Amino acid sequence: MSTQDNALFEELCVGFVLNSISQEEEEEFKSLLNNATQEQEQLYQDMQSIASEMALLAYDQKPSESVKEQLLEMAWASVHARGGSANVHYLSRYRISAAAAVLFLVSSLGLFFFNQNLETDLETQKELVVQKENTIRILETEVEQKSELLAILEARDVDLILMDGLEVNPNGFGKVVWDKENGQALLQVANMPAVPTAKEYQLWFVINNQPFSAGVFAVNDPERDNFFKIQELNQSASQGAFAITLEPEGGSPQPTGDMYMLGAM
Amino acid sequence: MLFFIISAIGRFLNQDNSRDKDLLRRIAQKDPVALSLLYDQYNRLLFGLLVSILKKKTEAEDILQEVFSTIWEKADQFDPDRGTGYTWIVSLTRNKGIDRLRSKVYKEQKKQSTSLDNDDVYYPLYSSENNPLEDTILSDRADMVRNALQQISEKQRKVIEISYFSGLSQSEISEEYDIPLGTVKTRMRDGMMKLRDILSGAEQ
Repeated sequence: MSTQDNALFEELCVGFVLNSISQEEEEEFKSLLNNATQEQEQLYQDMQSIASEMALLAYDQKPSESVKEQLLEMAWASVHARGGSANVHYLSRYRISAAAAVLFLVSSLGLFFFNQNLETDLETQKELVVQKENTIRILETEVEQKSELLAILEARDVDLILMDGLEVNPNGFGKVVWDKENGQALLQVANMPAVPTAKEYQLWFVINNQPFSAGVFAVNDPERDNFFKIQELNQSASQGAFAITLEPEGGSPQPTGDMYMLGAM
Repeated sequence: MLFFIISAIGRFLNQDNSRDKDLLRRIAQKDPVALSLLYDQYNRLLFGLLVSILKKKTEAEDILQEVFSTIWEKADQFDPDRGTGYTWIVSLTRNKGIDRLRSKVYKEQKKQSTSLDNDDVYYPLYSSENNPLEDTILSDRADMVRNALQQISEKQRKVIEISYFSGLSQSEISEEYDIPLGTVKTRMRDGMMKLRDILSGAEQ
């Protein structure tokens, strides 16, 4: 393309983007543009950009609100006229639904985890309550036992029988406080080893070489003194002895195991 | 500092272009929300341009509505490979404004109402001082164009400004300002070519 042709293209191009040439010149330019070189294409785009940038110098003025209102009214009417099911309509609903679903999911998850925490806390608190209740029950039982033992000790007429450890348990020590009037007795043992599995200690009242079972008991904590209440010890004898043997669990009709303690009245 | 400003403007130009393209794509799919967003972005600028061409606000509002109606109808004709969305919109607006300006009906109305129309106040061609555009980036771009115009000759600037903001054709400028048509064409071409060099950075 000659320099002259290029100058013509530039002149028409500038006039075209500024809308300042005649109808005939516009047609001529469009014809040239159809066969334009890459540089001329670029020139055309540059000139269009410059022309559009010049619009930025126009005064910043605000049209009346009715322009936008009428425009959007036209746009929505157009959408509805196309069947009232514009993509955007569904898209908006979809987005709202999606947002609501996400919100619901997040809330649900939050509530779920919050609930899980609450349940865990509740379980912990329940376990604690059960532990405390057990402790209270044990303490109540102990208090009850102590009260019963105290009642025996408070009796006006009691016999005190001391028992000593024998060969199998020489450090053992025992004491029987016997309330004959009410047929009850208090047994205190110390330094007695814990009972082996399936075994229990059995207290015997021996009179005239004849043993009478006074009950069975187990020692689970050998470090402390253990107290037991003997419910029915209805004997009127004023002489005799108390002995403790190790017997099978539940006790025996006659002593069969090692004797751990013995004490005479 | 200058490099920072230019690169920042460049980034925003790209962002604007990307956003405009996206809005035009959505408008082509008949999304009124996108049309509303595009209107919010450019209505003041385009209205100001139309007022400078038509000199009457009521006419400018009519054409502004026509412009956006056309965008609504023909957004699918926008070709991103042939320029930015902004260029397409401004070009469309100027074409519409000038078509109205040159229409016989409008010329008749203008003749009859020039002395009676209270809205028909005098407007300078364009804002020669810093324009309080709400958008800072647009304001920076306006400064660049304003500075570039100051670097070309007054004669070249005058024909470009009259043509652009008054919508006069080269023939009309020639007649009204008593300048040979060939001279008008030459000044216009030389001025615009020089603006191109200045704005592309070739003369900075």
